[in-house]
Amino acid sequence: MSNQIKEKAIEEITQADDLKKLEEIYRTYIGRKGKITEILRSLKDLSEKERKEKGKIANQIKQEISEMIKEKEHKLLAKKDKNEKDWIDVTAPGIKVPQGHLHPITLVQRQIEDIFQSMGFSILDGPEVETSYYNFDALNVPKDHPARDMHDTFWLKDLDLLLRTHTSPMQARYMEKNNPPLRIIIPGRCFRHEATDSTHDFQFYQVEGLMVGKNVSVANLKAIIEEFFKEFFSSSDIKIRLRPSYFPFVEPGFEVDIKRKGGDWIEVMGAGMVHPNVFKEVGYVDEWQGFAFGVGIDRLAMIKYQVDDIRLLYSSDLRFLKQF
Amino acid sequence: MKISYNWLQSFFNKKLPVPEKLADLLTFHSFQVEEVKPCLPAGRKNDEDWILDIDVLPNRSYDCLSHQGIAREISVLLKYPFKLIDYGKKIKESKELISKVIKIEVKDKKLCPRYTSRVIVDVKIGTSPKWIQERLITCGLKPISNVVDIANYVMLETGQPMHAFDADKLRGNRIIVRRAKKGEKIISLDNEKYDLDENVLVIADEKDPVCIAGIKGGINPAIDGQTKRIVLEAANFNPLVIRQGSKKINLRTDASWRFENGLDPNLTQEAINMCAYLIQDIAKGKILKGSIDVYQDKKEIKEINLDTSNVRNLLGINISDKEIVDILKRLDFKTKAMKDKLQVIIPSNRLDISIPEDLIEEIGRIYGFEKIPSQLPDAILIPSKKREDLIYQNKIKDILINLGFNEVYNYSLLSNKESIKLSNPVSQEQKYLRSSLIPLLIKNVKDNKRYFENVRLFEIGKVFNLDKHQVVEKNKLSCIISLDEKKKESQEFYHLKGVIDSLLNKIGISDIWYDDTLKGNRKAEIRVGNDLLGWIEEIEPNIAGLEIDFEKLVQLATEERVYTAPSKYPAVVRDVSVLVDYGTKVVEVLNLINKVGGFLVRDIDLFDIYEGKNIPDNKKNLAFHIIFQSNERTLIDKEVNQLQDLIITALEREGGWEVRK
Repeated sequence: MSNQIKEKAIEEITQADDLKKLEEIYRTYIGRKGKITEILRSLKDLSEKERKEKGKIANQIKQEISEMIKEKEHKLLAKKDKNEKDWIDVTAPGIKVPQGHLHPITLVQRQIEDIFQSMGFSILDGPEVETSYYNFDALNVPKDHPARDMHDTFWLKDLDLLLRTHTSPMQARYMEKNNPPLRIIIPGRCFRHEATDSTHDFQFYQVEGLMVGKNVSVANLKAIIEEFFKEFFSSSDIKIRLRPSYFPFVEPGFEVDIKRKGGDWIEVMGAGMVHPNVFKEVGYVDEWQGFAFGVGIDRLAMIKYQVDDIRLLYSSDLRFLKQF
Repeated sequence: MKISYNWLQSFFNKKLPVPEKLADLLTFHSFQVEEVKPCLPAGRKNDEDWILDIDVLPNRSYDCLSHQGIAREISVLLKYPFKLIDYGKKIKESKELISKVIKIEVKDKKLCPRYTSRVIVDVKIGTSPKWIQERLITCGLKPISNVVDIANYVMLETGQPMHAFDADKLRGNRIIVRRAKKGEKIISLDNEKYDLDENVLVIADEKDPVCIAGIKGGINPAIDGQTKRIVLEAANFNPLVIRQGSKKINLRTDASWRFENGLDPNLTQEAINMCAYLIQDIAKGKILKGSIDVYQDKKEIKEINLDTSNVRNLLGINISDKEIVDILKRLDFKTKAMKDKLQVIIPSNRLDISIPEDLIEEIGRIYGFEKIPSQLPDAILIPSKKREDLIYQNKIKDILINLGFNEVYNYSLLSNKESIKLSNPVSQEQKYLRSSLIPLLIKNVKDNKRYFENVRLFEIGKVFNLDKHQVVEKNKLSCIISLDEKKKESQEFYHLKGVIDSLLNKIGISDIWYDDTLKGNRKAEIRVGNDLLGWIEEIEPNIAGLEIDFEKLVQLATEERVYTAPSKYPAVVRDVSVLVDYGTKVVEVLNLINKVGGFLVRDIDLFDIYEGKNIPDNKKNLAFHIIFQSNERTLIDKEVNQLQDLIITALEREGGWEVRK
């Protein structure tokens, strides 16, 4: 009997959608003339044992129902408030907190650094103003060799110095002072004396990589580069291929192409096995071997973020930069 | 370089793969083919040709700036037999001796290692046959006359630049190869005048230069309609002297390009015979007996000892000795097995091969780089290092973006005058190396203000200065800010000061103060203890900027610091309000409070600066919270009151200010 009442009451409370109905329910069950109240009242006519038993159940039910009503009342009150005075338009825009953005080159460079660091490569920095010795001679590009024409160079007036055309000079600078085995990368700004268009700028960023050991091979180069690009594009579906090319400081020399899922082959870096003349120049006497590579950070940023004009990167236009 | 597909086919009996396939083959084993383009000779439909635009890099410019070179490469890759015509055998020489017509003198054999010449008489100058004209046009050359076209044709086929002189116009019947003399001039075939000097090698007759050696012919002994007797030249010049000469007179030609890269001296003989034969055949000339060949220091045959295990080790592949020998043979390298090495004899046309690694490259590319597996290295674990300043760069960039600043990368080159100038700028806009990041940041702010109300930018980059003729390269951090509505006088300046405090605080630098002894009313030096860190300035109304020496910043940030535990005892806060002259600096008041308050003054916080209503003109009111605290005990009211009174007295007596109670 009491359980049936309880179930009915619960059903009614759940369905009640305004305070008025809730009040009615209260009256019907636990008000002065309510059904539960009546049961409790009728207990006095029962034996002590029955009274105790039924009384306990009825009181429990009374408490439960009144709690449920109270809870419901809160909900309905809250709803009412919102509907009336305590309402805010949550769809209105938030107050702007000044939010800065990192430059896409920084984002890409950080990723490159993290990946290579995880593979045991140390990260170095080098000067942007270089001597022709480190930029060319130490890298097996002798003076008056046609290979110098491959790098159009900015020279400083009245000083026998230039703006580095690649970050490779740090190879020589580092090896002069450190013995193998070694693994390093050098990210940094480089300059080429050339006309500017959507894919070339006179200023760009490059990461130079160098690994030297006793048995470091082309197969190792391939694996490291493959790992790098898989991580960089967060995809295991990256194919790489090496094509013959020529950079005076490596032999053999390669052009590295990558192909992402569903994409075309694109040229992304130059690489090769360090030329013995470079080792000789830095004073390595043992039979060391190793690979070097150079990859354009701007180029990777452009591929990753689908930027079609390199000049945007140096435009300092917040309409562009705020997207990163 | 433009290469004709049909021309390549002419070296082979077997059919070549279709142009695209051939291009891929070359791209993956030899050099990049940048474009394959169909090419229809004028007025003919069925005789389609294709141009392969091949990017031959300096290492293969010795032997591959020619159809023959590319064809030889293809024959190696496809294992197609490659036929070269021996023109020497096809030549019919007359009885008259060449030495009767011309004498050749090479002044410096280092500058001209070889000079080969033939003379052809009774030549009929006319137009060249269509097949020659078409091939020249396909390769981007203009047909001129049969003899000139043949000379160009031979160059495109063999890679050896040729030259033809009208023998009757050479004074003294002599050819002299020598350096030009200062003051000598020459008018070229295309009627340009060049001033010569010792840096330029020339071919001269008895009197004057008649040709800029290896670069361009002169107009005087040029072949014309009346020419009957021809002196043909196939020479080998020193690459350096041609390169210098070409730079000197600022002229690059198909010939100079080939000579600059270096050519096989053995090519002259083959080329001159081919040229002579074609002239005999096409221009009906008679070839005089013999050739003059000035060739004193014959090139020695190069031998390289190759350790085949190094091939496997460097490439990271399991290639057998037999495969290695096979590949070398295909490349026309002769091999001989020694005790533990392979002796390899290098053909004279492969000037690029001089060390074992060069051979390993050849083996690798013919074997196929695509077949090399990926193999992660077995390397000793060395903990990788990252330079402190790179770690701090990342950290500082993160702090700044969280403070609402956007990172920019500007150009290192400027139009404004700086101490370091480029000797060869690309444009007037980019003539100088920046000595500060600020000028371009100011420009950035102005550009961006058109679209944004508040602009906050920063850049970390290298700047350059000249110190006693030495370039000093420094890494700098600059911030710039411009806010929208004017809420407060110089709000940008103070905002930026707040940024510095916040930034330095986060990287653990305290003891910051601002030195205002600089010139200019709105500029201060940022100092940490005794170190100068940089400066901050209200650059223009509404724009404030700062520049910080990044290396100094890193140095200060990485210094060991002493941390102090917070006091266990409660702090007592008292306020003081001081009416001062407008020109009084906050720091003067702070210093006095600190001095008098002593070590129990833990902190002083300026919470209000007020001018205007209820404040006399030329005065301002400064309100401070003074926080008193001890590390050893709870301060009692009495002693704090005493200290506070001392401070107030000092402010009034020493400072001469009015303390408003």
